[in-house]
Amino acid sequence: MEQVKSRITTTHAEGADCQVLILACPSIAAATQPGQFVHVRVSESADPLLRRPISVMLADRQAGHIRLLVRKVGRGTEALARLPAGATVDLLGPLGNGFPFPSAETSGDILLVAGGVGVAPLVFLADTLQTHRARFRVCGLLGGASDEHLPVWTELAGRCEEFHVSTEDGSAGEQGLVTELLGEHLAQDGTAVVYTCGPRPMMAAVAQMCAEARVPCWASLEQWMGCGVGACLGCVVPAAGGDDFLRVCKDGPVFAAEQLAWEALGQ
Amino acid sequence: MSATVPDLSVEIAGLTLRNPVMPASGTFGWGTEYADLLELSSLGAVVVKATTLLPRPGNAPPRIVETPAGMLNAIGLQNPGVDVVVREKLPPLADCGAPVIVNIAGETVDDYVAVAKRLGASPVVSALEINASCPNTERGGMQFGLEPGPLAELVSAVRAVTSLPLITKLSPNVTDIVPLARAAVEAGTDALSLINTLLGMAIDTDRRRPKLGNVTGGLSGPAIRPVAVRMVWQVAAAGLGVPLIGMGGIMSANDALEFILAGATAVAIGTATFVTPDTCRQVIEGLAAYCVRNGVRSIREIVGAAHRP
Repeated sequence: MEQVKSRITTTHAEGADCQVLILACPSIAAATQPGQFVHVRVSESADPLLRRPISVMLADRQAGHIRLLVRKVGRGTEALARLPAGATVDLLGPLGNGFPFPSAETSGDILLVAGGVGVAPLVFLADTLQTHRARFRVCGLLGGASDEHLPVWTELAGRCEEFHVSTEDGSAGEQGLVTELLGEHLAQDGTAVVYTCGPRPMMAAVAQMCAEARVPCWASLEQWMGCGVGACLGCVVPAAGGDDFLRVCKDGPVFAAEQLAWEALGQ
Repeated sequence: MSATVPDLSVEIAGLTLRNPVMPASGTFGWGTEYADLLELSSLGAVVVKATTLLPRPGNAPPRIVETPAGMLNAIGLQNPGVDVVVREKLPPLADCGAPVIVNIAGETVDDYVAVAKRLGASPVVSALEINASCPNTERGGMQFGLEPGPLAELVSAVRAVTSLPLITKLSPNVTDIVPLARAAVEAGTDALSLINTLLGMAIDTDRRRPKLGNVTGGLSGPAIRPVAVRMVWQVAAAGLGVPLIGMGGIMSANDALEFILAGATAVAIGTATFVTPDTCRQVIEGLAAYCVRNGVRSIREIVGAAHRP
């Protein structure tokens, strides 16, 4: 983990409410694993004050840059999305645990189930899995409200052997929820493991379906965050089976689905 | 001839600190979380999270929310309990090169007394900070910090069982902080920390619900700095004869200087560390630069200087 000043080399709007930023930061690009995040200071001023945790969508070690997908959901992310190419941002990272890589014995399909902007860390995971294509098939399932809410879908599609899209309004792919696509896939045998990132209700449903199908499931969570390094205990989520809490920034952001109390999380 | 290096050392509660800058309890974990980004031995002291007698899971999330130039938190004193703290959390700090101050909290006076006794047996602990001001649990300290009587009772009870230097952290959620400060001093505290967070609240207008799981939380960050400076000023003006540790929204050396000039012998950095992990280091360097620039040989010369005619 380190704190660096990073230059935005490129920035462009993506879909209805997202922005893709490419940031020059060789040391972070070299160190980041799929599922990890950077904690981004969105302005030099004291308002907005806190950093914003953003998943790394891709890390190009040779070019020395990382790519972030930012959904404009509030003042901080809007400020970040407005920054022009050439601007400098202060990054802290890489942070968090990242996705555990499938074990050497894994065979069958690896399913990546994404909702909206949750596609970002799964693009990075798919990219890394590509170097192991001989061992397993990577299948991507992406859902969104409409075709305007499927940011960077080609980035995921291009890194999967099989790829399906669903939208709630039917403007792209199957009409319905991504969990319906998952249901169809789980009904056939051969799913080795599921990785998911998206809205909490979606991930709660994915976790439930995987538990019923006895398929291991890893979920990447988002939460309002203070320090990002495990010190402030501000970003916790409820752990399964008790009163305990887990820190999204340090114990996560990736959790085995059975670690979490989804009934409390999924609301 | 090179410029004279200014003397930043200060004395708090019998402890000599190499400089007047420390993290604020609750914002620095157990000290090791930031070790990659900040040399602990460069700090005036390391102040770790509030410790209670029994483990506390903390409050239901969401626990933090950003507000204008600040944030609300309602962590709820999550900690593994004093036994685990002594056994697992403090030993890694044994050789950190700075005095270790442990913040203590509880539901009853007996809780504080038990925690103080247990921590007194740890060779790692240099001082205790009585948390009489956590606003985020039903009975987590602030119930002692709002009236002089209960506060004096708490401080004297802890004083009676420890020979460690004792700091009392006061709540700003009172009409007049001076009677509280006086009560703590008369009960035997060696120093005062001020201020803890201001009780606040934010509401999600879409969901029509409080944003925090705990409904209310403690406001920190630059938004509260003028309140904190005013309270340090008032307590310093009361001339109670103990050193003050000022905190509340310090983001820079200049902010820290406001507190020092108002009468704080030392300062603590809290929320700023989340934004800029090495804020403590920047403040230490900035204080040294200020001293050099202004011909100040020792930072102690300017403590409370804004009160002087």
